[in-house]
Amino acid sequence: MPIRTHQSAAGQVNSRIDNTVRTWISHIHVDRGIGRMLVLLVIAFALFAVLNPRVFMNPLNLQNIMVSAPEVGILAIAMTLAMLTGGIDLSLVSIANLTAITISTMYTGLVGSDPALAESLGGVIVLVGIAVGVLAGLINAFLISTVGITPILATLATMQIFNGIAIVWTGGKTLYGAPQALSAVGKSTVAGVPVLFLLFLVVAIVIGLLVNRTPFGRKTQLQGANPTAARFSGIRSASVLYGTYLTTGLLGGLAGVLFVTRNPTASADYGTSYVLLVIVIAVLGGTNPMGGFATVTGVVLATLVLQVVQSGFNAIRLSSYEYSIAQGVILIGVMVFDQLRFRRRTRYVASTQTRNIASMSNVGEDADETPDTAGADSVETK
Amino acid sequence: MAERNEAPVLEVRGIVKVFGGVTALDGVSMSLLPGRVHCLAGENGSGKSTLIKIISGVDTPDAGEILIDGEAMSGMTPARALRAGIQVIYQDFSLFPNLTVAENIVLPAAIASRKKLFNRARSRPGAQRIVDELGLTLDLDADVEKLSVADRQLTAICRALVQDARILFMDEPTTALTHSEVARLFGLVRKLQERGVAIVFVSHKLDEVLEVSHDITVLRSGQLVASGDAREYSVQSLTVAMTGRDVDTTRLVNDLGKRGAPLLEVSRLDLPGAFTDISFDLAPGEILGITGLLGSGRGEIVEALFGLLKPESGTVTVNGAALRPGSIRSSISAGIGYVPEDRLTQGLFLEKSIADNIIAGSLDSHARGKVVLSQKRIAETISTLFTRLRIKAPSVAAPVRSLSGGNAQRVVLAKWLATKPKILILNGPTVGVDVGSKNEILTILRDAAREGMGVIMISDDVPELVSICNRVLIVRRGSLVAEFDSEQIEAQRIQEVMAA
Repeated sequence: MPIRTHQSAAGQVNSRIDNTVRTWISHIHVDRGIGRMLVLLVIAFALFAVLNPRVFMNPLNLQNIMVSAPEVGILAIAMTLAMLTGGIDLSLVSIANLTAITISTMYTGLVGSDPALAESLGGVIVLVGIAVGVLAGLINAFLISTVGITPILATLATMQIFNGIAIVWTGGKTLYGAPQALSAVGKSTVAGVPVLFLLFLVVAIVIGLLVNRTPFGRKTQLQGANPTAARFSGIRSASVLYGTYLTTGLLGGLAGVLFVTRNPTASADYGTSYVLLVIVIAVLGGTNPMGGFATVTGVVLATLVLQVVQSGFNAIRLSSYEYSIAQGVILIGVMVFDQLRFRRRTRYVASTQTRNIASMSNVGEDADETPDTAGADSVETK
Repeated sequence: MAERNEAPVLEVRGIVKVFGGVTALDGVSMSLLPGRVHCLAGENGSGKSTLIKIISGVDTPDAGEILIDGEAMSGMTPARALRAGIQVIYQDFSLFPNLTVAENIVLPAAIASRKKLFNRARSRPGAQRIVDELGLTLDLDADVEKLSVADRQLTAICRALVQDARILFMDEPTTALTHSEVARLFGLVRKLQERGVAIVFVSHKLDEVLEVSHDITVLRSGQLVASGDAREYSVQSLTVAMTGRDVDTTRLVNDLGKRGAPLLEVSRLDLPGAFTDISFDLAPGEILGITGLLGSGRGEIVEALFGLLKPESGTVTVNGAALRPGSIRSSISAGIGYVPEDRLTQGLFLEKSIADNIIAGSLDSHARGKVVLSQKRIAETISTLFTRLRIKAPSVAAPVRSLSGGNAQRVVLAKWLATKPKILILNGPTVGVDVGSKNEILTILRDAAREGMGVIMISDDVPELVSICNRVLIVRRGSLVAEFDSEQIEAQRIQEVMAA
């Protein structure tokens, strides 16, 4: 008997280790956006650091990367949220521009009559600008959830509408002027790191926590993974969709604030190339466009990868057209890599299934182990 | 015995298949004779599907040979299998829902013969011929998506025959059929037999298997554990062969004691076109069975209780408090859980982990102040249920897609048990679940009921209802037509009333 006990204890340790390793492996699968983006980031960084160290490694250039990443990054995080529900938000850049224009218009209007008042009301002006973004998100949510229009069509329409309003409002001209406090924030740094970049990280952490550590975030994931099963589990799609598109509107508005923070100007056609760029970033970061899976960390890393590539192309004197070729190549490369891995993974699943059942009784003992509940986090935070 | 001497149309010898170090099939042999029904039995994952895949050329065996008409086939491919007359009808039938019955029947044969152009009008006579030969009533011009499950199956069978099927595999053909439809299918199987088709019947429903089969092959964990004449087997001995252990099929019902106030009261529920004047109640700890033919309205009744359908009139109360009609949230907050019929699309998030699935229905109650999830409480719930329901998986992080039918159903059960429901409604809880898991699921329900949970269970499987229910209600054409008390429950009578 003692021998037997000893054996089963060893077996238990063994299966516990086995369990941990498998949990860990499945984490890698889920967080596919993080690992590969980290590798790409290191490769891209090293490549340009070698090709043109004098320009690329210049502290000013590195700061530039950190200053230009946040606006794209926040829009990409917003896109990720929409994709998490299986939707998309094409109107994000238009929302951001509308916010920027609102801020600029209000500020210049006030400055004309009372410059001191305009500065002291800077915070209020920014909040009004963000409120415009949230309102735009509310319109999207209404169209998608209450009316029931497919997200891609609903946001395509609102993109045109918001963009049109911005052009009519500004007469197609660029507006100059924004609260000076904003520009001050835009230029300040903490220990060499631009405040804007820190703000981006804070937004990423908050959204990461929202997605993983709140009932709302988990419901969003489930809704995206299988809307029917979500309904049968008592998850109300209306609250998920309203919550999601209000948040994307809020983030769009925040991105608009960053527009005027970097440059005290606003125009209707700013950042038109961002619309598709943020989709590329979201998908590179591991977001499943069909919904249900996303990692905010992956999206942050993907943002940095593309910023580094863009800046590196500048450093080695390649044009923005060549940069857009690079974007496409990276996207296809990552997707091909995914496909190969997916094929391997399906085979892996088939074999575990066979294994489960082929040795039913043994696996049953295995299952009696205290499960590693770290697996509950299918999306990574931070 | 004379027919025994006929040459087998298909023979497999010593098939071995290894998946990543795990032996799925370990030297399995089987031979099929024309005009006979062969039953391939085994629990989920015993290797039945792998064997079918190998015979139909989808998978390549690691060892062993396949002989057709006594001739060894080397390098079986799906195309060669089709040419040899091997047809497999999978559970989902693989039909084109947007095409008509006639097109579905004829199209694959047309594609196989490499026709470049397909003439819609000319498809009809070919389809008509086969339907007439089998003496079926099928509307050839109906779109397949509008057909009942039984008619889809007939379409799939016709499609196989148009392609000159000599060997027909039917994977779980009776799962979605009602009693009378099963009888019709068996009639058809006998006709096919007369045409000399060798039929392989894969099923969990052992009494049905024994009814139609001549020969039996039983697999367990990839090994051939029994084979021979079907007449030598009983449900009991077949179960033992499949599971390797005895399974109790006798009636085992919780004692309710004295009836107190009802937990659930349904009063005069009405939804035109689905059901009329439905009234019944449910006591705490009671297991109530509801049965009836498909389309009788039994499913709609429980869907209305859960808030998926909105009844036109009538009330549902839980502990005296009325539910808001047509509101899932209202039903859930009153303590009703619902294990749906179609667990793959309605019950589970297949790509998500077991852990995510288990807490999918109870997220709000795992949050501190409804805002931040308590990781600790989530972990406790998940590990308790994972252990208690004995879900067989490498870890709770495994995606649900990798689980077998029985384990997947346990995950759905776990999701609802995590909400601590007062009433659990189950629609076909053991469909597509192997014998061993099925008994465990019934045990889980008995245990939960013993703790005071009320259970409503819809099932086609009358022996299962007999083995677990305190009471059984029978629905016919939208009305409750009979109620069997604990003393009156008997399989034979229930079946008679259902089919009447």
